[in-house]
Amino acid sequence: MRWARFVVFILIATVLQADLVNVIAVSSLNIKPNLLLILLVFFAVYCDTYEAIIISFVIGFSADIIVIGSAMGPQIISYGLFGTLLAYLHRVIAIRKMPYQSAAIFVTGFLASILVCFLSFLRGQQAYPNMYVALFGTPLYSAIIGPFLFLPSAWWMHIKTHRFGLN
Amino acid sequence: MLAGFIFLLTPQSLTNKFQFAFARIFRLPLSISRNISLAARTQESFTDVVSRSEYNRLQNHLANITEQLEQEHQNVEKLSGFRNRLPLEGAKLVLADVITATISSSHNELIINRGQDDGLDEGQFVLGDNSIIGTISNVSTRTSQVKLITDVSSKIAVRIGVLDKYRLMEGCGNNGARIRLLPIQYKIKTGSNVYADKKPGLLGTAIIAGTVVQCKRDDENPSLWDVTVKPVCEIEMLDNVAVIIMNPKE
Repeated sequence: MRWARFVVFILIATVLQADLVNVIAVSSLNIKPNLLLILLVFFAVYCDTYEAIIISFVIGFSADIIVIGSAMGPQIISYGLFGTLLAYLHRVIAIRKMPYQSAAIFVTGFLASILVCFLSFLRGQQAYPNMYVALFGTPLYSAIIGPFLFLPSAWWMHIKTHRFGLN
Repeated sequence: MLAGFIFLLTPQSLTNKFQFAFARIFRLPLSISRNISLAARTQESFTDVVSRSEYNRLQNHLANITEQLEQEHQNVEKLSGFRNRLPLEGAKLVLADVITATISSSHNELIINRGQDDGLDEGQFVLGDNSIIGTISNVSTRTSQVKLITDVSSKIAVRIGVLDKYRLMEGCGNNGARIRLLPIQYKIKTGSNVYADKKPGLLGTAIIAGTVVQCKRDDENPSLWDVTVKPVCEIEMLDNVAVIIMNPKE
């Protein structure tokens, strides 16, 4: 893993996720993709398990830090947990085809959003302005465009996409 | 995982410092991406019309001038000849760019690129398109957090239209606010202006903050109104604001 490239990559994705994804938001519900979710699945699929676990928590931290005024922790826990599970699942089931990758993004986004909602509820806060958008809209949009972003991500990270992360 | 639970259980005032630091460190790329985002959402303008933002700004300016004129009339009547200082005379307006805007059901806040170094302090009122949009809630040396009037924890004293009654307006998230405890004997029209009340040392005159969009009987107490207010400017589309410093030190 090229960690310097990873840090730059995550910082760029975090800044883009903070505001610029609004440019490609669709419908009156302002459904936008979650770049950090896409990267979570990308690294879980193409990195070693140990690295994927560390990356999942870092991405969760990034996801928490961009929402000013919200409670920190729910996304670290949920992204970390489901990123770890996905990395272990990838040791058993190879997620190589684009439809499978889309499905992985959608399911991970859906489950992570549920856990975020629950943990935010424990803090007495509402995690998302619109629950349905967070549970279905954002994961679906991310699942549609996610696999297409895997190739440029792999190019930037110097990861060979035909390699398995089986360590 | 442990770190996640530590963050979860840590008081939000402490964890917010991480978010604040992120906004401060990356304010330049965040501002650029916000400007791009706003530009993409702005529709094509025509030559013979003004933009919605410009229209709002002018309308709010007109409402403020009308209100100040009304106050001056009252002053003249009361004091009959005594000289009085203009409401915002001596006040300093600090212009600030919006770094990030968070508008949701639970948080309605802005991060701006001015802080203690520019004379900002907690409690100061913030103008957007000539209307009150919130108050400074947190200040660091170079950035500040603005709690919008629509934030669930926001409470400011306001007056509706020509009524001579002041009430607290509480934010209710999702770009809206509510005024309660107003007896139904008062006639309140939809579209009436809502003015933030003057506050010694922070706001020298009443300034428009919103308009009444709905007025219905309170579910809990039918003898009172439940008034819904919307801000008079599109806060999400603002790329700069002005902070009112009533008594600048220099």
